[in-house]
Amino acid sequence: MQLSESNSADAGDFVGLLRRSGALRDQKHLEGHLPPLGGQPPVLETQATTVLAFKFSDGVLVAGDRRATAGNVVMYDRADKVLEIDRHSVMAIAGSPATAWEMARVLEHSFQFYRRSQLQEMSVEGKVRALSKLLRDNLGMVLQGVGVVVPIFATYDYGAEDPAKVFFYDAMGAQFEATDFAASGSGGPSVRSILYYENAWGKTQLRDLDQKGAITIALRALDTAAEADTATGGIDRQGKIFPIVKIVNQNGITTVPDDVLSSLFQTALSPS
Amino acid sequence: MIDEPYRWVEAIANRREYIESELAPGSPTIALSCQEGVLLLTFGKDRKKIFEIYDRIALGGIGHPGDLERLRMMAIELASTEGFARSVSDVSLRRMTTYSFSPAFKQAFEQVYGAPYLARLLFAEVGATPADDLFVALDYDGSMSANSMGSGKGRDHFSVIAGTRRSATQIAEYLRNEPVGSLDSALAVAVRAWGVGLYTADEDHADIPPPEELKNFLKAQLKDYSIEAALLERKPKTRIAFTELGEDQVGSVLSEYKE
Repeated sequence: MQLSESNSADAGDFVGLLRRSGALRDQKHLEGHLPPLGGQPPVLETQATTVLAFKFSDGVLVAGDRRATAGNVVMYDRADKVLEIDRHSVMAIAGSPATAWEMARVLEHSFQFYRRSQLQEMSVEGKVRALSKLLRDNLGMVLQGVGVVVPIFATYDYGAEDPAKVFFYDAMGAQFEATDFAASGSGGPSVRSILYYENAWGKTQLRDLDQKGAITIALRALDTAAEADTATGGIDRQGKIFPIVKIVNQNGITTVPDDVLSSLFQTALSPS
Repeated sequence: MIDEPYRWVEAIANRREYIESELAPGSPTIALSCQEGVLLLTFGKDRKKIFEIYDRIALGGIGHPGDLERLRMMAIELASTEGFARSVSDVSLRRMTTYSFSPAFKQAFEQVYGAPYLARLLFAEVGATPADDLFVALDYDGSMSANSMGSGKGRDHFSVIAGTRRSATQIAEYLRNEPVGSLDSALAVAVRAWGVGLYTADEDHADIPPPEELKNFLKAQLKDYSIEAALLERKPKTRIAFTELGEDQVGSVLSEYKE
């Protein structure tokens, strides 16, 4: 370990610090090792799929299935794609876990580093942009078709009139704020259709759902996505593997425990 | 001039004298183990002096604000970089102070053409039990004292830095004889210990004052100072142990000294 001094120009910039210290490298070392544009990726990449987030009466619900695949192989059936970044922020990932988990790690440390060094919390815009910057830094990889990540970022902004916030991104780092819901991953399109349908023509709009209702919709959406998409785990009844469901509100982040999911699941997926 | 050994020793001695006189008016900072975690406490007049460094590590300091700021940033950068590259549990106060801070302080102090750090630091790291709490006091010349790094030595449940050596010794003497249980008792003891430090800082008072005199002294002093206290929680809800203690938590302890 060696001491290095900071100056005010890059104060609070953890990514910059990691670059200087060599802990984080840009992708120059990969040059010449990646396939030409449009070619086959050199490795069979592990992919994680189907995450969703929507606003309901008590904050934001973020959920993701548990399956990670590489080609047609199931790599892992207990993957956690809904990652807590700080006390009020959650990042849900679809795409390459190798890149996504590292991004989550960088983000988590960046926000803490900023808070500790600058003695104030980073603004929500700042946090949203930090993720956008990481995605853009990954552009070189994306163009080669490796390490693509398409995340959803959900947070609770105390100062705002509408404090529950959901942002989604494209692989190049463009950020979009969702009014009501967002979905990503290979099962994303079907989840999106369901959430749109529920919101527009369902009995209750997503915003007005209570917690139980919200979890039910999330379970149903993931189950439906798994029906037609082999890369989505859905709900494993035998293995008792349930999706990860987290709720972000003024009290911070709560993970819905498996037994609650299990009992809701009994009613949620039986015809009403 | 300083290429001759005698001159070098002389230059170092002058430097030491200068730094000691600069640090002398510093308000003591006390770290104390209790059931709930580690309490850090000081009283100040204008600026913040207790800081969060990492998940389980906090810092208190006396000295020049510019130097304290540089050192605080170094500590945060060191801890954050390691926590990122390895794991949060690999960040250790023992390694940070012995391998990074102490040598850096010594080098800055002994290179007489460069500026030394005008700072005295107190690091605290909360452990799983009070017996695992670690305190390291670091001086401007790189010398270090920890409550438990060696073997065979009885361990203290506290550590302190103060403007003068006498004041630090008297606070330690006082704390050694004061049992601490809960956070509330730790707050009460720490406030009194701080009073002992301020009382014994000047030439007129060499010894710990009797309780009544200490109380009156604190009553008079606290008009000019405001409290700063933080707790490193032993069992935090999240990974982060550091919380600043607000008026509601320190108010009752201080009410004793209000007129």
